[in-house]
Amino acid sequence: MWITDVIDESYRVAWGDLCHLKSNLLEVLLTGTVGPLLYLLAFGYGIGGSMGGGEEYVAFILPGILALATLSATFSTVSMRTLIQRLFYMSFDELLLCPIHVSAVVVGKTLAGMARVVISCSIILLVGCLIVPDASVNVQTVLILLLSAFMFSLLGFLAGIAVRRTNTLSLISAVVIVPMTFLCGTLFDVSALPSWAASVINVLPLTHVSELVRSAMGSGTVPSDSLAVVFVYTALFFGLCWYLIRTNRC
Amino acid sequence: MTSDCSNDGMGKDSIVEVSDLTVRFGDFTAVDGVSFNVRRGEVFAFLGPNGAGKTTTIRTITTIQRATSGRVVIDGFDIDTHRLEARRRIGIAQQHISLDNELTVAQNIRHHAMLHKIPRSEYRTRVLPIASGLGLDPYMSRRVSDLSGGWKRRAAITCAILHEPSVLFLDEPTAGLDTQSRHILWDLVRDLNAGGTTVFLTTHYMDEAEALCDRVAIISSGRISAIGTVDELRESVGPYTVEVTEGSKVAVTRHPTLEDARAYAESLGDVLCNVRLTNLEDVFLDISGGKCLVDHRCHR
Ligand SMILES: Nc1ncnc2c1ncn2[C@@H]1O[C@H](COP(=O)(O)OP(=O)(O)OP(=O)(O)O)[C@@H](O)[C@H]1O
Ligand SMILES: [Mg+2]
Repeated sequence: MWITDVIDESYRVAWGDLCHLKSNLLEVLLTGTVGPLLYLLAFGYGIGGSMGGGEEYVAFILPGILALATLSATFSTVSMRTLIQRLFYMSFDELLLCPIHVSAVVVGKTLAGMARVVISCSIILLVGCLIVPDASVNVQTVLILLLSAFMFSLLGFLAGIAVRRTNTLSLISAVVIVPMTFLCGTLFDVSALPSWAASVINVLPLTHVSELVRSAMGSGTVPSDSLAVVFVYTALFFGLCWYLIRTNRC
Repeated sequence: MTSDCSNDGMGKDSIVEVSDLTVRFGDFTAVDGVSFNVRRGEVFAFLGPNGAGKTTTIRTITTIQRATSGRVVIDGFDIDTHRLEARRRIGIAQQHISLDNELTVAQNIRHHAMLHKIPRSEYRTRVLPIASGLGLDPYMSRRVSDLSGGWKRRAAITCAILHEPSVLFLDEPTAGLDTQSRHILWDLVRDLNAGGTTVFLTTHYMDEAEALCDRVAIISSGRISAIGTVDELRESVGPYTVEVTEGSKVAVTRHPTLEDARAYAESLGDVLCNVRLTNLEDVFLDISGGKCLVDHRCHR
């Protein structure tokens, strides 16, 4: 069966990265959680508190910070490790010459990123539930976080195989990732932005992830238009990765 | 040269068939319409100066690199249409060691075994002994980045052969190895070859090619300028060499027969000269130096 082959092969591809993750657990814990927790405190209590309504604001940004964690725990680590394996260790070549489906290579290279998200989101949720007692986590939330982790890991992998220099990664990070971090409905409502800015922001994937997580944690509903956008981005990133590898363009 | 050499590998039981392979990087042509076959069970070598296109050819044949045009068939499987089947038959130790530096030797080897779907039991009974055989036991739990070049090379070779490929590509396998390691590697190549593995290697050491190879191809500027057994190539430039020493310079000429060489040496009169067999290094210099000898006698 093609699908069982791909699942099995994905794990085989991911094994090396998971070993790497396991031997760097402390680094994973710190890079994946310090940033988001800092946002929670600085924005939730600091800014929210000083303007009044601190508790309410913390409840507002918790879903946003979870959404954000699916991006920050994946993109830079997945893209950087892929780039290093490709350009410096050349160990990425081994994936290009082993008898494994291209889809399995693509999925496998996202699994370590997803594992990072599981770790950092668990900790953020733990802390979040302590400070926002009525925060609720349901199956929808978990599935959305995983889907988003998959999407952003694919984006990281795509950057890692498409780029030829480490500088380009920093550039992508500065002009795409950092603006997304702040503007995509994670820390404040997109409707507060002028309409032209809001229409740009509404195209970005993280905006829809924030929307989905907030809605799932709040009312338990899943807005289908945002879900569709996330699926389209996921399919697009997957397709591009698949194409680059299949045609040896990486 | 290729055309007048009957031993170009075509028509026999070939395991690697390369036809009209071209690889371009932008407007630079690294491999320029190369065609050759590697026969099942032989040890075949690519010789050529730096930048000749050896690595590019090997990376393209092994599906790592994209060909601009041309066709490659491995054991009957076209690498474009039957990529996975072709890959199952290939093992490669690249010129640039391709291991994950942040993992240990054992983790790298295990990861390779997993990628090639080798069951756990077989991993213990067959793969680990390969690593032991190459003396890797004390290094198994060391990170690859902490090893010296020679040990990295041995780990990479273990990874290349652990899935028992039918054709093994070794791109400069002995570059940077000490003499002992070089001989261990030569023995390994002979053992694998005796066990039925076809070996395709590149090297800058002519003694290595002479010691190991059934046939060699000389490639320069992306084209094959000669292909055949060492004897055939020697024959093609002249199997006997006369070296004439004048001061600090040595002039060499090639000759078709020993008599011819002796007669030539005697005709020179009272100079210091030496008649010897032409070796692969002579052949290589003649051919890759751009001097394709039509005449059997060449003054350099
Ligand atoms: N990715 C690339 N982009 C551009 N040019 C390349 C690339 N890879 C190789 N080349 C060029 O192709 C030519 C052939 O390189 P290749 O590595 O195949 O040579 P080689 O015969 O293996 O040399 P060496 O003996 O030094 O290993 C060189 O001129 C090299 O600069
Ligand atoms: Mg080379």
